Amino acid sequence: MAEYVNIVRRALGQLGGHGGVRGFLVQLFRANDVKTGALIGVDKYGNKYYEDSKNYFFGRHRWVLYTTQMNGKNTMWEVDGSMVPAEWHRWLHCMTDDPPTTHPPVPRKFLAETHQFNVSGTAQQYVPFSTTTKKIHEWVPPKAQ
Amino acid sequence: MFLSSAIRSAVSQTARQVRGLHRSAARAGAGGIFVHRDTPDNNPDTPFEFTEENNKRIEAIISMYPVGHKQAATIPVLDLAQRQHGWLPISAMNKVAEVLGVAPMRVYEVATFYTMFLRQPVGKYFIQICTTTPCMLCNSDSILQALKSKLGIKVGETTADKMFTLIEVECLGACVNAPMVQINDNYYEDLTAEDMDHIIDELKAGRVPPPGPRNGRFSCEPAGGLTSLIEPPPGPGVGVRADL
Amino acid sequence: MLRFPAVGRALAGLAPSHSARVQSRAASNMVEVFVDGKPVEVEPGTTVLQACEKVGMQIPRFCYHERLSVAGNCRMCLVEIEKVPKPVAACAMPVMKGWNILTNSEKTRKAREGVMEFLLANHPLDCPICDQGGECDLQDQSMQFGSDRSRFSESKRAVEDKNIGPLIKTIMTRCIQCTRCVRFASEIAGVEDLGTTGRGNNLQIGTYVEKMFMSELSGNVIDICPVGALTSKPYAFTARPWETRKTESIDVLDAVGSNIVVSTRGGEVMRVMPRLNEDVNEEWISDKTRFAYDGLKRQRLTQPMVKDASGQLTATSWEDALTRVAGALQGAQGSEVAAIVGGMVDAESLVALKDLLNRLNSDSLCTEELFPMDGAGTDLRSNYLLNTRIAGIEDCDVLLLVGTNPRYEAPLFNARIRKSWLHNELHVGLVGRQVDLSYTYDHLGEETSVLQELASGTHPFWEVLSTAKRPVVVVGSSALQRPDGGAILAAVSALAQKARSSSGVEEGWKVLNVLHRVASQVAALDLGYKAGVEAIRSNPPKVLYLLGADAGCITRADLPKDSLIIYQGHHGDVGAPMADIVLPGAAYTEKNATYVNTEGRSQQTRVAVTAPGAAREDWQVIRAVSELAGVMLPYDTVDEVRSRLAQVSPNLTRYDDVEGANYFKQANELAAAVNQTLLATPLIPPQLTAKDFYMTDSISRSSQTMAKCVKAITEGAAAVDEPSIC
Repeated sequence: MAEYVNIVRRALGQLGGHGGVRGFLVQLFRANDVKTGALIGVDKYGNKYYEDSKNYFFGRHRWVLYTTQMNGKNTMWEVDGSMVPAEWHRWLHCMTDDPPTTHPPVPRKFLAETHQFNVSGTAQQYVPFSTTTKKIHEWVPPKAQ
Repeated sequence: MFLSSAIRSAVSQTARQVRGLHRSAARAGAGGIFVHRDTPDNNPDTPFEFTEENNKRIEAIISMYPVGHKQAATIPVLDLAQRQHGWLPISAMNKVAEVLGVAPMRVYEVATFYTMFLRQPVGKYFIQICTTTPCMLCNSDSILQALKSKLGIKVGETTADKMFTLIEVECLGACVNAPMVQINDNYYEDLTAEDMDHIIDELKAGRVPPPGPRNGRFSCEPAGGLTSLIEPPPGPGVGVRADL
Repeated sequence: MLRFPAVGRALAGLAPSHSARVQSRAASNMVEVFVDGKPVEVEPGTTVLQACEKVGMQIPRFCYHERLSVAGNCRMCLVEIEKVPKPVAACAMPVMKGWNILTNSEKTRKAREGVMEFLLANHPLDCPICDQGGECDLQDQSMQFGSDRSRFSESKRAVEDKNIGPLIKTIMTRCIQCTRCVRFASEIAGVEDLGTTGRGNNLQIGTYVEKMFMSELSGNVIDICPVGALTSKPYAFTARPWETRKTESIDVLDAVGSNIVVSTRGGEVMRVMPRLNEDVNEEWISDKTRFAYDGLKRQRLTQPMVKDASGQLTATSWEDALTRVAGALQGAQGSEVAAIVGGMVDAESLVALKDLLNRLNSDSLCTEELFPMDGAGTDLRSNYLLNTRIAGIEDCDVLLLVGTNPRYEAPLFNARIRKSWLHNELHVGLVGRQVDLSYTYDHLGEETSVLQELASGTHPFWEVLSTAKRPVVVVGSSALQRPDGGAILAAVSALAQKARSSSGVEEGWKVLNVLHRVASQVAALDLGYKAGVEAIRSNPPKVLYLLGADAGCITRADLPKDSLIIYQGHHGDVGAPMADIVLPGAAYTEKNATYVNTEGRSQQTRVAVTAPGAAREDWQVIRAVSELAGVMLPYDTVDEVRSRLAQVSPNLTRYDDVEGANYFKQANELAAAVNQTLLATPLIPPQLTAKDFYMTDSISRSSQTMAKCVKAITEGAAAVDEPSIC
């Protein structure tokens, strides 16, 4: 009996925790998940980091709710794992239990000031020099005067 | 036992290598390389022109062959060019091709085939010493040694004054008068080292010593005097029936 | 026989004379011989090797080549003949009555094995790094006839490599001195640059002096070399013969239409080789045909382009480009649309473009190559064909060339002339610039007045021409492109007619010939294209469709400012930069297409590789344009296009069947009505020296190999010498 009560309680908590039915649905469609937990911190881009180690087993007990706007890009529906900055990444992946809110990261010169997305699969991606010669050299039209 | 076989194989290997080093004159020196490389004294601009006299000779040579077969005169005309110039620069071969109306390549083919066409400069006196077996058995090595020391050059070299070139050749067909050398067109036969010195001295003095055997023989008759046909020839009628 | 080179003179009588076209002798003259006991009847003078071939028995050989004189120096063809004490060289020995040739006896096999051992004594064992590997006669025959070991333990001979130009790589150590290349150079190519120098073990093939092997047919020595001594420089170390796919095709870089095999690997043309066609190219191809293939990989149009607002051509989609083209065609009416076709366009796209423009009520369809339209013009087919045919040159006895340099305009036609000159005592006369044609000829002068003198019978050469039994007159297409082209054609036609009547040759013999320089011209004229762009220049259209037009006959300046130029083709050469819309088409190795050569022989190319990028076959592009322009052409497959071709001109789909044309008398009568006068300017063909030969069209202009050839000719072979890897 108590099991069922617990489920209903968590369901209600999830509804309320996300700000009503609309918030619940938005959360469901964005993250495919409707977990609620303790808000550990928010990074400077607006990503929110949660933890609930009581109700979820290890590995699923820390999660992030991505911000809707990051580095000038609308990330409402286009979320990507690389939006998590380095200092939160290590907490999120359980490399440490100390979140950057309590233990701010040691500033390093190689740490980016503004976190960059992963550019794989985009036009900015790094392409190493090709060792195979081109089979067909296409004509490049002359520049118009 | 084991060691001796190893040594034997080593010796035979070495002998094989030595055989590779010792090559006939035609292969090693006289023929030279069979491609042309421009040098200061042998290039297409080397001046060569047939003399008036030789032009007449060429006409005579060509007239010996049927019309349209001028190419047949390649060898005699090349020889004429060589006699005129001493040796055959590339310009002379080109000139021969021009005179005969054939492609220069056809002339190069002939000139490289025959070892008597000299495509490298030689001295005024081109000494070819025979060191093939019969001459060697008659001590041609001493002649060669005499030549080397007299001229101060090694085989295949030309003296600094461009007078003498010395090469070693295979049999020149005068075995009966061995040892022998050929100097330009002349055969000097039945030589001794002293004879050789004398010939070179004469040549240096500008005289051409008479060719032929040096041991008093007239030609190739037996060295120890005639052994047959020594009696006077019988008159007519010898052995004929008495009644005739 | 005096022209026959010395090496073959002695054996000339034995050589198979394809050219001589000897009438078959009476059957009673035939000699009966036996090959391994099988009886066979052969003509007297047939060699043992040919007699064996007649019963299907191949004798191994290296030096023997049926198109060259017999040398008999490789000794590989030794066979035993019953009751003959020694083995005989089959290639040089004429058969005698009743001989029994034993091609597989113990003695024969032993002789072959011995010869093979001698040949391999000095041959390097570098098959793994040799480009001939896999197609090497020595490799094959040593496997078949050779021994598995050698008794030769001395050191092998090594020969220095020669630099004979940017096309042929020499590895002379591999040479077995068969002298095929020497004989090819002196007999077929007519360039006596190669020879054998030295003697004995030191014999080597070369040029003796530093010299390039300068011939427009030089690439063929790669094919005839039985070993890897002469290989292709551009193809070196790129592919192995067993990994390439071979596609039989047709060459379009000149108007001869040589038959070729395109070797491809992984969607890339690796090399081009000749294919046997006795009527066209025998088994040779010109250097341009063989080596210009790298031009197919450069300067290619791979996607549609349109000019943006700034006037810069930018890549776009087919949809966008086709819509724009269709819109422009719809916006223009009747003669506001015109088309110019270039020299490498196939008959399918020619007919598609013609149908498209006709449906738009326009008939301004022109070819870049000019042809006089006066008199009969292009209405009578006999006026613009090489009527005698290429092989027909072997039957003629007097040939008059007018304003042409066949050596560089059509190298294989020139090779035929040389062959006939060599074997048949062909007498050649030339009106035009005096050039080296690789055979001797009577130079009649450069002036056009010579034609009139010949026609009036006052010129000394008329004596020769009038006594000819089978005269032929060949006029170059460039001579007909002068302002007085009509008058020249009329004069030549009258001359040809006169020569015909004085020779009394039979009705079927054709005297008048036109030698074209581009592959598409005959098909375009057959399909009713107007020759020359004069009509377009005088009546500038609003929309101009350039189909592979790269000769630069028309420029922006000839057209009104607001006119739209559409270029469709395969190379960004001369036409594409001035176009507003560029549609990428396929080159000749990338499509199934019909080409008609200068004799009027239609032949087809086949797809060897797919067209690069978004490029498509040309007729398909035109078909797509027609659909969007609302005048859909009624064909969807290449077969349907060809049935349309057959409707317009049936000869275009009768492949390899030359349709004769025989309206010379009528053409001559019409030509008499031409009121043009011959100009005094001398007849000078555009291609005079080897330098002008290599880069003539958009493909060869894009080819680096061809550029190297030009550089080597102007600056010497050392200028383009690359450090060899091996």
